[in-house]
Amino acid sequence: MAAELIRITGLSYRYPGSKKWALQDINLTVAPGELVALMGENGAGKTTLCQCLNGIIPHSRGGRLKGRVMVAGLDTATTLVARLALKVGMVLEDPETQLFTTLVKNEVAFGPENLGRPAGEIRRTITWALEVVGLQGYEERPPAALSGGQKQRLAIAAALAMQPQVLVLDEPTSQLDPVGSSEVLAVIRDLKERYGLTIVIATHDSETAAAFADRVCVLKEGRVLACDSPRVVFRDRELLRQAWVRPPQVAALADYIQARGVDLAGFPINLPEGRRMVTELL
Amino acid sequence: MSLIEYYPGHTFIHRLDPRVKILALLLTTTAIFISENFLVIGVICLTVFTLWLAARLPVRVLGRYFKLLLGLFTFVIIMQGLFLGGPTALVKPVIPAAVPLIGGLGRLSLEGVVFGILLSLRLIVLVALMPLVTMTTPIHLFALGLVRLGLPYRIAYTATTAINLIPTLEKEAAAIIAAQKMRGFTVFERGNFGQKLRAYPTLVVPLIIGAMRKAQLMGVAMDARAFGYSTRRTYVEDIKMTAGDRLVLAGVIGYNLAILVANFVL
Ligand SMILES: Nc1ncnc2c1ncn2[C@@H]1O[C@H](COP(=O)(O)OP(=O)(O)O)[C@@H](O)[C@H]1O
Ligand SMILES: [Mg+2]
Repeated sequence: MAAELIRITGLSYRYPGSKKWALQDINLTVAPGELVALMGENGAGKTTLCQCLNGIIPHSRGGRLKGRVMVAGLDTATTLVARLALKVGMVLEDPETQLFTTLVKNEVAFGPENLGRPAGEIRRTITWALEVVGLQGYEERPPAALSGGQKQRLAIAAALAMQPQVLVLDEPTSQLDPVGSSEVLAVIRDLKERYGLTIVIATHDSETAAAFADRVCVLKEGRVLACDSPRVVFRDRELLRQAWVRPPQVAALADYIQARGVDLAGFPINLPEGRRMVTELL
Repeated sequence: MSLIEYYPGHTFIHRLDPRVKILALLLTTTAIFISENFLVIGVICLTVFTLWLAARLPVRVLGRYFKLLLGLFTFVIIMQGLFLGGPTALVKPVIPAAVPLIGGLGRLSLEGVVFGILLSLRLIVLVALMPLVTMTTPIHLFALGLVRLGLPYRIAYTATTAINLIPTLEKEAAAIIAAQKMRGFTVFERGNFGQKLRAYPTLVVPLIIGAMRKAQLMGVAMDARAFGYSTRRTYVEDIKMTAGDRLVLAGVIGYNLAILVANFVL
């Protein structure tokens, strides 16, 4: 078996009733434990690519799919979404519609219940998953009464409850205030560092990508323009301009300094590195 | 507040096995449709109202819904009076009976009016009966009750999730009206009946589109969490039929049998 957890080869996809290909000839592999950020302007294809990873595309949405998506050894084209759900946890773009039960504990239980797990085990899973996302004590609350950041963390807990090998998050912070965002990002960091989970995250936020991602894939009009370490990607001004991706502020500053003819040893992309650069320069 | 949303409480009706409540709802609904006697309907009315008090449900909310339905009741009573016919005339025909086709129109019969009142009473009892189940049962236990009564769980869950959407839709309708008001569109507040009727699509169309989009996204979210994976789905919180539940069920069956008999005897 191959070492990678996700292998996408020659993937193209067209929504039903649409003439345009939403994804075109995507090739991408993700190794176990890796965190890959998908970036690109609105309509670049981030959501579409995310939904290919657990079979929502094509099974729930229809349309025309070419190429192959293999996740944890399963071909998404021939595996049921419900079966793929065991391997891929999904946090969808809209925090409202993905919470559909009346109590937090039921939201987390929904997946394991569908899998037919015994009640005692599910109860332990609820406790564990809510603890991972910092929502312990909220079991009996209605999800509708939670804040945006809490809702998003609950969605993560609900996905984790099925103990997936891959977690896919579609713009998990785009609708949150700064406090909610940092709560959610702290959970994602924990999942990567403590639990070694493989994570694919669609995001607009270069700061997040620069801080967390092992690799950044830049999409434009359904194609992958580049897929490399954040340092390489955020250094490539031409690429960022083309894909309408804003560089992290630190990278923009480094770029500015380099353009003035100062030779920087390493190209800083996140805050700790930026701080080091500034102290070294001074 | 809607008559569908769970209204938390700890009364014996809240604690009753959902299966008992669902069966009671089905049986009593049938009994109401069979009943044609005012005394019998009156007794059912009284029972339902007593249960509302016993379950500590907000009677005021019910009153609000009845006020909304007042127009419908009036309409039903007048229509039955006009068209059902009967020997006793309350109002003489507007058009003489000799005129072909439309002759005799405008005659209001006592029998028709009485039957209209009966229909309205049935409607009142039905509207009051349903919340006794929906408002006292958390929706996941309601779904589980349906499953344990033999409904496939995919159907039970899809149905209850759809019910779950109704309060959200009510809130959205309020939001749309508020947004329209901010742009100076106040037909829903001050307009006359015709204006309201014509303005209706501006409210209903976005609501339906929104609901369809939501239902689709919700379906996707459910699939993504292995909905339909196993035919042997488990439930963290299970329901158990106690001796007390059985007793209540026996009582409900006896009550409805009594109603059936009363309809024949009276
Ligand atoms: N349900 C849909 N039906 C048809 N076209 C769609 C649908 N959803 C997205 N698209 C199209 O697919 C392309 C990619 O969209 P999407 O994956 O949502 O981008 P992103 O998440 O990066 O904003 C866009 O051109 C968009 O218009
Ligand atoms: Mg998107």
